Amino acid sequence: MKPDFIDRYSRLASPVHQLAAGPKLLAGLALVLLVALWPGAPWRLLGAVAALLLALALLSRIPPRFLLRRLLIAGPFALGVAVLAVLQPGGLQIFIVMLAKSTLCLAAMILLTATTPFTDLLAALRRARVPGVFVTTLALLYRYLFVLADETLRMRRARMSRSFMPARAHHWRSLATVAGQLFLRAHDRAGRIFAAMSARGWEER
Amino acid sequence: MHIPDGFLDAKTAVTTGVLAVAGLGLALRRVRQTLPPQQVPLLGLAAAFIFAAQMLNFPVGVGVSGHLLGGALAAALLGPAAAVIAMSAVLVLQCLLFSDGGVTALGANLFNMALAAPVAAWLVYRSLARVLDRRLAVALAAWLSTLTAALLCAGELAWSGRVGWQLVFPALGGVHALIGIGEALITALILGAIVAARPELLETSVATPRRDVLGLGLLLSLGLVLFIAPFACPWPDGLEKVAAQLGFEQHGSTLLKSPLADYAVPGLKWEGLGTIVSGVIGTLAVFALAWAVVRMMKVRGKM
Amino acid sequence: MAVENLRYRYADGSEALRGISFVVEPGERVALIGPNGAGKSTLLLHLNGLLPERPAELSAVQICGALVMPENFSKVRKNVGLLFQDPDDQLFCPTVFEDVAFGPRQLGVEGDALNAKVAAALAQVGLAGYENRLPHHLSRGEKRRVCLAGVLVCEPAVLALDEPTTDLDPRGRRELKLLLRRLPAAQLIATHDLELVVENCTRAILLDRGTVIAEGPPTALLADEQLMLAHGLERPHILQHLQHQHRHD
Repeated sequence: MKPDFIDRYSRLASPVHQLAAGPKLLAGLALVLLVALWPGAPWRLLGAVAALLLALALLSRIPPRFLLRRLLIAGPFALGVAVLAVLQPGGLQIFIVMLAKSTLCLAAMILLTATTPFTDLLAALRRARVPGVFVTTLALLYRYLFVLADETLRMRRARMSRSFMPARAHHWRSLATVAGQLFLRAHDRAGRIFAAMSARGWEER
Repeated sequence: MHIPDGFLDAKTAVTTGVLAVAGLGLALRRVRQTLPPQQVPLLGLAAAFIFAAQMLNFPVGVGVSGHLLGGALAAALLGPAAAVIAMSAVLVLQCLLFSDGGVTALGANLFNMALAAPVAAWLVYRSLARVLDRRLAVALAAWLSTLTAALLCAGELAWSGRVGWQLVFPALGGVHALIGIGEALITALILGAIVAARPELLETSVATPRRDVLGLGLLLSLGLVLFIAPFACPWPDGLEKVAAQLGFEQHGSTLLKSPLADYAVPGLKWEGLGTIVSGVIGTLAVFALAWAVVRMMKVRGKM
Repeated sequence: MAVENLRYRYADGSEALRGISFVVEPGERVALIGPNGAGKSTLLLHLNGLLPERPAELSAVQICGALVMPENFSKVRKNVGLLFQDPDDQLFCPTVFEDVAFGPRQLGVEGDALNAKVAAALAQVGLAGYENRLPHHLSRGEKRRVCLAGVLVCEPAVLALDEPTTDLDPRGRRELKLLLRRLPAAQLIATHDLELVVENCTRAILLDRGTVIAEGPPTALLADEQLMLAHGLERPHILQHLQHQHRHD
């Protein structure tokens, strides 16, 4: 996993980047709430939000290709539900509104996360009195996500280099072994991290 | 199963938000009281593990591949409260960092996948692991938890009025009954691999006190009553029936005559609301009863 | 720092340390050498009371006059800076600043004083201005130096380093050695890097199967080819160069 694929542009120096994380987070959330939960089909509101987001995107100096690519990755689940919506009587309009709303919200969130380092978001959460254990868990998840993803890739490569038969049952089993190993390594690492935290004076508060 | 923004209406977003916050709060309180400090980093690392394991694709059929969801695995490895926290962290990160799942749907996604799935899995796993092989128990738990999460999700979408329930229940339920088989297999294989390498790791998690799951279980059943009960008739019956019995007029074909017969509280006009209210009352009553029984057994055990 | 008759048994019953005794004076740089599984890492963890299963035996270690036991942990852990083998284990915070600031924060340092301390520690390891970098964007050598900054920022009297030069490239290794030589703290360095031992250390202790086999000046100890081979080590080539130099002098 390329380590910077997600926060490649989060430390540029544009006006959008320089807004404080807390207020930016709040504003972003307010915008998303407004768009997503406004009942019916408020086309004027949606148009205004679209214009605002476009302006912010230009101001942020993030390459448009990066933003567009992330915007276009729709999950199969969302597509499936959208297709279901079209199937029912009068569903086409519901479908179009749903799609417009979710695309705008997605754009707002992508813009927010692409212009704000995740660590600033964590600090904002901590200031918002989210329980410490949860913020610590999030911080550790963010930190070790990349370490574990790399470990996974290395283990898979090592296994693949030694397996010559792509039989399905074998594939499942080898996958499970990799995942099991991954958990054991994560478990042991958690123990070493606790030792490292204690060594630097950490006490549970 | 990550619901994007715009797919849920305000009442559903708020309701699921409240349920999710309550569940996460409960789990955090439990963990703060019972988790030894050296296990605190494990929450984050287990979350990272689930995240990384979700990246492993397994082949399902021709050109189709699935990936682990992890609710049942987390529950079996960490116990219910820690599993809720680890899964919640994964979903919050996916929402805030990867824009996977909407912000207004975060409550629903948390409730379905980080709360209902691991708690349902835990209840099944814990009761079956005593009589069955551990891998079989976790496989059943994984299948059921996948289906539970999918049906909750269907209920929320229907509740929001975006997709008709007679369409969304069979579709999501059917697809996830299949996906659940993959989830069951891979969960069982992974748990088997871990048990084979380090059997002692799993001993602690099975010894979770019953109190740990009481609150979480209550929230789970509340969610089931709110999002699934109004649409499933008679509740809880199979999906085929849901698909077959279109229309609300068949509501409450009774299995047993109870004080809340036909799931309707007198004085409440709107049928759906009446069903929900009676369902909530019923759940609370069942839980009060179960709690009383547990208390009595404890007292007797001491004497 | 004094270790006296330290014994330790793992939970599975195998004996890791069987009665180890030695002393490290202030300002000394002592190498801990020996084959894999000799007990080097286990010994280092004991200096900080990080193996809590056997509290009674921990009192075999004294740091700056304080016995290592739960009542003294905060004092001991402030005095002993432990550098772990895998920098990814030690670098657990999401940014470099957070990580270096972790230790001082536990001691109640905040605000400008904290910023200044972190900046100074990073400058000390040659990473000035790295505060906002993310650990997963750093090279292994940089990660290790950040870890060292996180240890140095607490100004420990004793540094316990576990394999500090593994997976560094030659330049990273050279810089680290220079840095360690400049530090005033007493150092106990567990390592397979015998060049590091010869160049940096004033004394070496050979450990195998949980006991001290030999102790002495690095050049003398490492030159004993029989002894080295018997305990899974080898006579480093650098000694030959040194001896050549002596002859030429």
